[in-house]
Amino acid sequence: MDNNKHIPLRTIESTPALGNLDRICDMEEGRLSGKVFWDQAIYEQELEKIFARCWLFVAHESQLPKFGDYLTTSMGEDEVLVVRQKDASLKVFLNACPHRGNKVCFAEAGNARGFICNYHGWSFGADGGRLMGMHESKCYEESHFDKSKHGLREARVATYKGLVFATFAADAPSLEEYLGPMTWYLDVMLDMDEGGSEFLGGCIRSTIECNWKIAAENFVGDILHGGWTHDSAAKAMLGGPVANVGELPESYSVNWNGHGYEFATDVVGNAATLGERDINKYLHVLRPKVAERLGEFRSKLIGAISSFTVFPNFSFLPGQNTVRIWQPRGPHKIELFTWVIVNKNAPQDIKDKWRRGAMMTFSPTGVFEMDDGENWEYCTKTAKGVVTRYQDLYVGLGMHTRLDDSELPGNVFKGQLNECNARAFYQRWKDLLQAPTWADVPDRNGKLR
Amino acid sequence: MSRVLLCQRDELAPGQLKKVEQAEGDAICVYNLGGTFYATTDMCTHATASLAEGDLEDDLITCPVHWGQFHIPTGQAVTFPCERHLRTYKIIVTDREVFADVALEADEALAAAQSPV
Repeated sequence: MDNNKHIPLRTIESTPALGNLDRICDMEEGRLSGKVFWDQAIYEQELEKIFARCWLFVAHESQLPKFGDYLTTSMGEDEVLVVRQKDASLKVFLNACPHRGNKVCFAEAGNARGFICNYHGWSFGADGGRLMGMHESKCYEESHFDKSKHGLREARVATYKGLVFATFAADAPSLEEYLGPMTWYLDVMLDMDEGGSEFLGGCIRSTIECNWKIAAENFVGDILHGGWTHDSAAKAMLGGPVANVGELPESYSVNWNGHGYEFATDVVGNAATLGERDINKYLHVLRPKVAERLGEFRSKLIGAISSFTVFPNFSFLPGQNTVRIWQPRGPHKIELFTWVIVNKNAPQDIKDKWRRGAMMTFSPTGVFEMDDGENWEYCTKTAKGVVTRYQDLYVGLGMHTRLDDSELPGNVFKGQLNECNARAFYQRWKDLLQAPTWADVPDRNGKLR
Repeated sequence: MSRVLLCQRDELAPGQLKKVEQAEGDAICVYNLGGTFYATTDMCTHATASLAEGDLEDDLITCPVHWGQFHIPTGQAVTFPCERHLRTYKIIVTDREVFADVALEADEALAAAQSPV
């Protein structure tokens, strides 16, 4: 699919895959080399073969209600603009002028007629990103310059229940196929209430000196760390001892195409850690209506102990309602973009309490975020040493726990204290790094351990 | 005779504008501002752009390319990067038609040019 039919863009070919990936990442054995968190060559491959090819989260529709509304974000290290069009659709453009490459928009968000490059005055319309003209345009016209053949590079865009995703890969599968049956679980967060969801205004941007995969993997399926890493913070927020996750009566890990969700069925286990009783009450009161809407089973997940990553770097926590992208900024650093998601129809004071609770727990000074940041930074920094970096890490917890007779969608595993989702994540990571095109990416669903 | 036909009186509603090509000379942009007609050259004085493709707000026209602005009745450039004023034309309205006298400037432009401010 040619995203820029009017623009004959010329791009260079991608580079060949690295040769030793099967040794570096062996998910049959549950083994991973620490090199994947430190190596610059691996990182360059990730930008090219994962971030320039996968569907990446770029916005929530509620952030861009009117024509000309825009926000800036990034897809990997590629800076992009998300812009509401005249016909109410959304477009995603590279935030880079096709003349000398300068950034065309420096604000985080706003409303604009278009985007004018500071360097030579090349001007692009908000509607379609086409080149409208430039400073000293007469001399371009004298050299037979055809401005209709230039514009901002456009990505493919697709949405799922308010979430906006984009990809620069013309051969990527549809978003629907990319997400697969995981949408059944996404609905717990996005569609528990008839008004749907929205982002509260404002994005927290912070940095952590860790590799992006450590953060994404934590949310794809690591609640194991919760009871240990966050023990004191959880006790402070809950005002008493914390239940052992391993003793919860029913929990699962599910994954598909490298996406993963681990969850208990305790309704408000995550929500309770915000220390806002009214939020627990709101969820308990809402639950019977959710049961009518999504069924009894999913109504038990609306604020349960759980976490979710959509491959590669979009994550959220139901209950705490924190939504984030782990933006890669070199192999040893991430920029973390965080928002708070709420039901659009929730009362304002409940929305305010969610905002406050999310700040208390999952912001740069939040009690849980600080615990995680410290661990993730040192998981990255120890790999600076070659002996450490060349040693295999263990990702084998929960081998042979697959539930082949489960009626739940996706690849379903028993219990949420399980590294099956991490294995599925790293397997997908390796498959993408090895596949020359999307058609070469193997289907591992139903085959993972 | 320097009179050229721009449009029918009922062709442009208030807040609308239109580019009118000339066999000789520069294209003209005709505007209906709250029932009163005005005319200026259509080409922006900064770079090649048709003002008829720009946004009309109150009595200002915003160029579609670099968003410079002109005050329509006087043709004065008011917003960066536009610094040279637009040529204006005197409007003549008959029972059914709107004309420009391309030999004359608009009265507002002449008054503004003589104003000490």
